[in-house]
Amino acid sequence: MAYLSMGEAHRRITDYLSRFSDAVSSQDAAVLSPLLAVSSNSASLQSLADALNVFQDSNRLVGQMERSSQLAEILSPLLRCIQSYRLGRFADAYVALEKAAKYYFVFFFCLFVSKIPTLFWFMTVWRWGFFSAFLQEFRNWETPWAMEALYTLALEIRLLAEKADRELASSGKNPEKLQGAGSFLMRVFGALAGKGPKRAGALYVACQLFKVYFKLGTVHLCRSVIRSIETARIFDFEEFPVKDKSTCNVNLAQVTYMYYTGRLEVYNENFLVADQKLTYALMHCSPRKETNKRMILKYLIPVKLSIGILPKQWLIEKYNLIEYGEVVNALKKGDLRLLRQALREHEDRFLRSGVYLVLEKLELLVYQRLIKKIYVLQKQKDPSKAHQVKLENIVKALKWLELDMDIDEVECIVAILIYKNLIKGYIAHKSKVVVLSKQDPFPKLNGKPVGS
Amino acid sequence: MTSQGVEPVVAVDSRSTEAVDVGQPHGYSYPSSHPGPQSLPSSSGQLTVSSSGYHYDPQRQMSVSGDTQEGINTASHASTSTNLGAENAQAYSGYVPYSSSTVPYNYTSVGYQNSFYGYHLQGNDSSTQQIGGDQNSGAAYQPLSTFQNSGSYVAPTSYLGTYYNAGDNQTGTGYETNSYNYQTSLWNDGNYHSYPYHHYSSYTTSSTSSAQSSATISGNSLYYQQQYNNWPYYQSQPAPIVNGAAGLENTSATSLQSAGYSAEGASSGYPYISNQPPPPGTTSWREDSRPSGMPSFQGKEAVTPYHLNKNWEAVAPGMQTHHINQSSYFQQPLNSTPLPNEKHANEQKVLYSLAPNLQHAASNQVPENFQPPLQTVPLTETRQVSKMQIPTNPRIAPNVGVSMLKTQKESCIVSAATKPAYISVSVPKPSNQSSSEDAAGAITKGTFPPSFCAYVERSFARCKDDAQRSANQSILKQMITMATADGTLFTKNWDTEPLFSLPVDQSQQSLVSDSSLPTHKRSPTRRKSRWEPIADEKLGEKLTSVDSHSAIDARWGQVEAAEKKVDSKISESKSVNGWGGFKYASFQQQSALQKFGQRPNKKQRFSDTSSVTENGDPSSDSDKEQNLTKYYASAIALANSPEEKRKRENRFKRFEKGQGNQAELTNFRPKTAGGGSMYTRRAGALLKAKSYEDGCNKAVEDIDWDSLTVKGTCQEIEKRYLRLTSAPDPSTVIVICITLYSSDMHDLHTSFLDVRPEEVLEKALQMVQSSQKNYLYKCDQLKSIRQDLTVQRIQNALTVKVYETHARLALEAGDLPEFNQCLSQLKRLYAEGIQGCYMEFAAYNLLSIILHSNNKSDLLSSMTRLSAKAKDDEAVKHSLAVHSAVSSGNFILFFRLYKTAPNLNTFLMDLYVEKMRFEAVQCMSKSYRPVIPVSYITCALGFSKAIQMEDSQDTSIDGVEECEEWLRAHGAVLTVDNNGELQLDAKASSTTLYMPEQEDAVAHGDASLAVDDFLTRTS
Repeated sequence: MAYLSMGEAHRRITDYLSRFSDAVSSQDAAVLSPLLAVSSNSASLQSLADALNVFQDSNRLVGQMERSSQLAEILSPLLRCIQSYRLGRFADAYVALEKAAKYYFVFFFCLFVSKIPTLFWFMTVWRWGFFSAFLQEFRNWETPWAMEALYTLALEIRLLAEKADRELASSGKNPEKLQGAGSFLMRVFGALAGKGPKRAGALYVACQLFKVYFKLGTVHLCRSVIRSIETARIFDFEEFPVKDKSTCNVNLAQVTYMYYTGRLEVYNENFLVADQKLTYALMHCSPRKETNKRMILKYLIPVKLSIGILPKQWLIEKYNLIEYGEVVNALKKGDLRLLRQALREHEDRFLRSGVYLVLEKLELLVYQRLIKKIYVLQKQKDPSKAHQVKLENIVKALKWLELDMDIDEVECIVAILIYKNLIKGYIAHKSKVVVLSKQDPFPKLNGKPVGS
Repeated sequence: MTSQGVEPVVAVDSRSTEAVDVGQPHGYSYPSSHPGPQSLPSSSGQLTVSSSGYHYDPQRQMSVSGDTQEGINTASHASTSTNLGAENAQAYSGYVPYSSSTVPYNYTSVGYQNSFYGYHLQGNDSSTQQIGGDQNSGAAYQPLSTFQNSGSYVAPTSYLGTYYNAGDNQTGTGYETNSYNYQTSLWNDGNYHSYPYHHYSSYTTSSTSSAQSSATISGNSLYYQQQYNNWPYYQSQPAPIVNGAAGLENTSATSLQSAGYSAEGASSGYPYISNQPPPPGTTSWREDSRPSGMPSFQGKEAVTPYHLNKNWEAVAPGMQTHHINQSSYFQQPLNSTPLPNEKHANEQKVLYSLAPNLQHAASNQVPENFQPPLQTVPLTETRQVSKMQIPTNPRIAPNVGVSMLKTQKESCIVSAATKPAYISVSVPKPSNQSSSEDAAGAITKGTFPPSFCAYVERSFARCKDDAQRSANQSILKQMITMATADGTLFTKNWDTEPLFSLPVDQSQQSLVSDSSLPTHKRSPTRRKSRWEPIADEKLGEKLTSVDSHSAIDARWGQVEAAEKKVDSKISESKSVNGWGGFKYASFQQQSALQKFGQRPNKKQRFSDTSSVTENGDPSSDSDKEQNLTKYYASAIALANSPEEKRKRENRFKRFEKGQGNQAELTNFRPKTAGGGSMYTRRAGALLKAKSYEDGCNKAVEDIDWDSLTVKGTCQEIEKRYLRLTSAPDPSTVIVICITLYSSDMHDLHTSFLDVRPEEVLEKALQMVQSSQKNYLYKCDQLKSIRQDLTVQRIQNALTVKVYETHARLALEAGDLPEFNQCLSQLKRLYAEGIQGCYMEFAAYNLLSIILHSNNKSDLLSSMTRLSAKAKDDEAVKHSLAVHSAVSSGNFILFFRLYKTAPNLNTFLMDLYVEKMRFEAVQCMSKSYRPVIPVSYITCALGFSKAIQMEDSQDTSIDGVEECEEWLRAHGAVLTVDNNGELQLDAKASSTTLYMPEQEDAVAHGDASLAVDDFLTRTS
């Protein structure tokens, strides 16, 4: 790092401060947002951070500038945050940012209430923990321009919290910042949820919340968010034209929202709804965002598989989802061993992404395929007796796959297949034979989940 | 007014009188009091009634308090007017005209009032003191307020602050004092009618500016004052010698009389009743008062048609609390003894003796501010006063006498006098500090006895809206603070404690809370123990402070220049003390924090401050401290009702028995630190915790939780589990469960337990394991063991063992809720790296998720956490197999696994068997045609006891029967084939199957909670 003169540092800081207060007073979100984007690693913020390292007494500067002193409660933690971030102290950065964000809210609340945000307001409102009360007021507040900056803040809070947790975990401390970010964002969400221009903001914050909750593994907390969004009908898919630039964020938020709710449905094994949501997300996802598409496909493929729709090989290859390649092959071949192998091989990955249980259930489809194969073979040999499949044969076939199952178990599995409508027919217990229906003995799922 | 003419003299005197409070009957004051003639008769009358000696004491006290208060009031007025500037402008203006009109009033206001009053009402002669006493008798407490004032005295503004504090912070006492002050003012008003009103107005304005609550307070105080004022009048009136009337007439200020009169009606109730055959009005009043706390007020209303009434009504809510306090003090004496005066005197004495504590605070403050004034003041006066007092006070504790002497000495050497005060100050300080710390900590700390919790709940129960709740909360906070400071939190019988009254509206709430708190609160055991030794010093201090007061008064004119300083101080004090409960809390916190930071230096600091203040630049810190001390002092003084004293005595004795406990109960006195550094550490930690709560940036991890750990001593192996239990007993350790999460009372739980140390717990565990008793007993024992472990924060192999044992027992007994509790604890403990049967419980965990919660994301995360090694474990493998069997519906596999389950997995699976079977039969009935032999179903669905021996008819026969029974119960259609073998008609059954209602179903949905069933299962 090149040597930075005191004067230069001073200049940079005051420059930042004045830009910030200008943006606030001119209500220019486009200027304000990048100033808040701590983790964007933008050159200007990095140079500012360097300046802050040189010029330690930045708070004094904040107080000195008349315009910025009004915003001191926001600015001084923000500066601290930028500095800590640059130094790699993410936990500190997060704490400072959360503070700044709180004051950000308070500030705009005060702006709303009195038009003249004063320090007095900060002190009273904040010190006495009126944050929640104030957030209530925030609902009635009509300054959409500040919303843009809010997006940035919400995003930054989450990103910094993640980094902070990584830092804390590596130093052996309890990583709790993400949790804190979650509860903070939840409060913000509570303030935004409802009707009016803020609902887009609510959607955005909800997406950040989803990210936090999924990361924390507390997905059950998403439920309340979803409920309030869906009861408030915060967004109507037709309402925002996709190509409108001003709603670009909204569109993004919609895709994100659909993605996460789709994932939730995967957990709940509501494959039809999951399919719907994830497909929507995939369709509306920006075509350039390959990684996003891959993420969506990661869930969409298992969902499609479980409703009997197999992906083309090129899709799997294009998005580098080869872990599904073997699964698809197993389904095609009726190779139970292959499926189990694939599951074992990628167990960790599947478990972490949460599709393991879905893939596990594909076993029945594989059995179905296997018996169908036996049926086809028998048909080739002796079409008249083809519809009677001896359980023994199935046991034998499984043995070839090196799977040791006795006849009782096979009988049970066939019973389940029949029970779940994967096979039409019945078992004759005495003769240990599966009698298949002569008409369409192996009905296709055709986009319906197993068992329906 | 005659008084006016006298005033110039009075000005000086008044100060002196104030200082002299107790005994100042000097010619000075009297002459100044000129209006005296009137007062003389009245006072004399009073004197005559009661024994002179008695009279003296009470009067003295009264007078003192009254004087000081008056002085305070006036001072505050003056200060407020000057200080507050714009805000106070109104008040000020009112004041100014007043002073001007009345004459050299400024001083007067202080001196004048005092002297005026005392003299005025009472005979100018020796009786003056008495009179003052009578008036003040209610005010006996005032000394406390005085102290505060003295502390604040530095600047007139400080007075205001103190005044407010008294009102706000002090509960009953504070109020009383306030009211007294007001009375005095009213009396003065009596002379100068306009004056009091101005006063009030100013008050309100200032208060409003400072805090919302302040306004209400002022209002209340006014009311009180009125009442009080009335009181003295009453006495005089009803008495053969009508002081008030005479005085008024003499003064020729009829309007004033009326005001005073009305006030009398209200306030007089107490004294009146007790003392004299009441006039019609008074009697009625009394009656009212008796039935309820409030009645007195009502009575007043009835009695006095005057303007004061308005105030009255409004005040009523606040009044109640006041009443209670008063009643404890006054009513008893009055009623019991024909000679009201004596009683009063006694009471006053008591109060007085208690007062010294308060004085501490005052003294601290005083020295700084007052030294210069002392010098200026003629020593002779003070001496005289003290001397005078001595003779009058013989009744009062010997301490007083001593103190008097001391004061005399002090007064001889002006500088010397002040110094001793300082010294004494430094002594009390630590206690104050600690108490403040405690107070700060108390709220967060939440060491509350169950009875108090109940009390809190009661108090919350009657809240109707949020405002009340918040008010209630703030009140409670204060209560806790005070009670903790006094150490009465655990000793008080909260069950019998009356609930403080709730404010009717916001404005009043602050008042009420303040007033009510102290009343209930303080019975400082600790104080008590220290009482005797300290008293002397304190008295001395007090006297000095008084002197300083007088000195200041005398110098009043000179002081003007200093007023500016005062202003700033006032504002400080305002902010610090906060009038509303809200502010109050903040104040506490602030001070607590401050203290925390300063602690190490504190003693020195304190002594230093005096010098600093002398130099004329008192630090804001010292101011805050002063306020704090004031506050506590006043609180303590308030606590000193005779009743309280008795109670305290009892309590104290009790604690003497309990070795060491006292230290803890007394809230970490610094002194105890030597014996129990742990306590101090705890205090520190608590403070930290508190500060964290304040929203400061301190992270939770900064709190030294280890220092809060308790170690048990109980040696009993067997102990019943009780959730909130027995009252503390000497050998008991108090356990604190802190919920830092919020200071809301609801989050605070405390329990008192006999805590057993680790070794004993280990034995207890063995005892449980080898016990032949039923599950209920074992569960109880294990719970108590767990509780003790939690309480002592023991988290090691023993803890794991206890939880594992309990989990297994619960599983065997089918107590799923208890099992889940243990399991979640175990998860945590394992995660901390404590060794145990990890695999076994990982398997249980998986099973319980798979079979019972069926939460996919939980399952996923649990599976993700399994290490490769864990997946090789027999039990875990089994669980995973169960999972796949369940998810695919493979009943054959499931029941095979059921038969071969390791550990206690069977018990978990047990609970899922019914469901699995039903699903299997459904499946079978759909997929099999035409029939399925029941024998096969028996095997497949695990009815046969020994699956390996399925071919031997004998062993499986009962299984078949059971299976048949089960199938029939679920609506299956059974047929018998040609061979006589029982078959399930699959097609027919497919439509008739149903899940029968559980026969043992219970209303709450959990059959395992059905007592009879449970008992049969477990015994």
